Amino acid sequence: MAWAPRTGEPRVLRVGELVAELSALVADAVGRVWVIGEISNLRRAASGHHYFTLKDDAAQLRAVLFRADAERLAFAVEDGLEALAFGEVSIYGARGELQLVVRQLEPRGQGALRLAFEQLRVRLEHEGLFDAGRKRALPRFPRAIGVVTSTRGAAVRDVIEVTGARFPSVPLLVAEARVQGDGADLELVEALQLLAAHREVEVILLVRGGGSLEDLWPFNSEVLARAIARCPVPVVAGVGHETDVTIADWVADARAPTPSAAAALVVADRRELLARLARDRGRLRAAIAARLGRERARLAAGRDALRHTSPAARLAARRARLGRDAHRLVGAMRLRLERAATRLRAPGESMRRAPLALGRARAQLALAAGRLDSLSPLAVLGRGYAIARRAADGRIVRDPADVAPGDALAVRVAGGEIDAAVTATRARRDA
Amino acid sequence: MAEPPGSDALPSDSLSFETALERLEAIVDRLEAGELVLEEALASFEEGVQLSRRLAEQLGSAERRVERLLKEGGEVLAKPFDDEAEGS
Repeated sequence: MAWAPRTGEPRVLRVGELVAELSALVADAVGRVWVIGEISNLRRAASGHHYFTLKDDAAQLRAVLFRADAERLAFAVEDGLEALAFGEVSIYGARGELQLVVRQLEPRGQGALRLAFEQLRVRLEHEGLFDAGRKRALPRFPRAIGVVTSTRGAAVRDVIEVTGARFPSVPLLVAEARVQGDGADLELVEALQLLAAHREVEVILLVRGGGSLEDLWPFNSEVLARAIARCPVPVVAGVGHETDVTIADWVADARAPTPSAAAALVVADRRELLARLARDRGRLRAAIAARLGRERARLAAGRDALRHTSPAARLAARRARLGRDAHRLVGAMRLRLERAATRLRAPGESMRRAPLALGRARAQLALAAGRLDSLSPLAVLGRGYAIARRAADGRIVRDPADVAPGDALAVRVAGGEIDAAVTATRARRDA
Repeated sequence: MAEPPGSDALPSDSLSFETALERLEAIVDRLEAGELVLEEALASFEEGVQLSRRLAEQLGSAERRVERLLKEGGEVLAKPFDDEAEGS
């Protein structure tokens, strides 16, 4: 529509015509432009179109971001976001409003990727995907280790080397996936699921070398994060990075700064284990030796105890007791004898019975003495008889043949002795 | 604390490394505690020595197995891994 110059009468236009004219005017004058402002009054329609206001201190401008353009964004559009919006200015006829049709949106103050990362991190954190309580312990001696990585690059070689040095007998199963570029996150998810389904795999390493935020972007994928969270097997993230921790690092059961470090986390060092086994063997030997030593000591103690209760031992014990008792007995007897002796020496009860017994004894003695007297050869002399003895040898003469005339005789009579000599001898006729 | 002594036969090879190591250390602990009857102590010692040897053998093995897992035509296959063969 051509301008009518402002001469003469004002034109008469219908609303639609006027608005259309103005819209074209604006498009021509300004066209496509980058606008800096804050997003507010955001409304996401069911259609997927975003309706919001871009504002600053001085003014505000209605804006629309259609669904197709919104989907291309890495981050989510939010109220309060300081943004750079690129689009065309026009007048929306239905409402007579000036609006910016936004084709591209960029966050101000940080990159789009970084913002997207922050938004996802916050969201998943609120869902509890990063909770420490969710993290599973890593198996000490996994039957097999799964590795998700690119087969190009140093990461897989590092893992092979480190596990080879520490514990070579653990099998490694590698599932390949691209680790950067569009769609890499889906390949990573597939590789993860392939390994998790393998019955030998007890832990999975998710590794790649270092890179920029863009390079590492697949590891910030929400799809990958949820796959890690759902994985039935513990996952260790070993993403080499200078400063950025990826979402995968947050969700994983454990993380390490490099692929080598991640490998070291999942295998024990066999050198340490061998040393431990050697110590165990030493402890075994010492323990059994101590045990046997105690047995021997018990045995010896038993033998000693036996010796003390043997028949010989008991006999010896009895003898000793006997000796002691005998000693005491002797002592007691001696004591009684001494007491008895003391009683005898002293006059006492026993002495009163003596005189009667004495008289009887004297009488008996006198009688015996009388009888003895009458039988004594000296009593015969009293009746007149004499005893002749040869003076030479004292022999009693009974026979005249014992002497010859002239022999000396000693004659004993009742009153004494007579010395005589033989004058003659005569034998008895009837002898 | 009183477990039945090595009445079961010596651990078969299907015992995992970890289980075998735990068993060995349990045996050492029991022996050191000194509460076993002499026959049990000797049996445990025997078993401990066997376990220790077997574990050391396993550790000493330098045999490696590195494979690539992939899905081909709906099947999961394991092929020997050879990263030299990987082109760029």
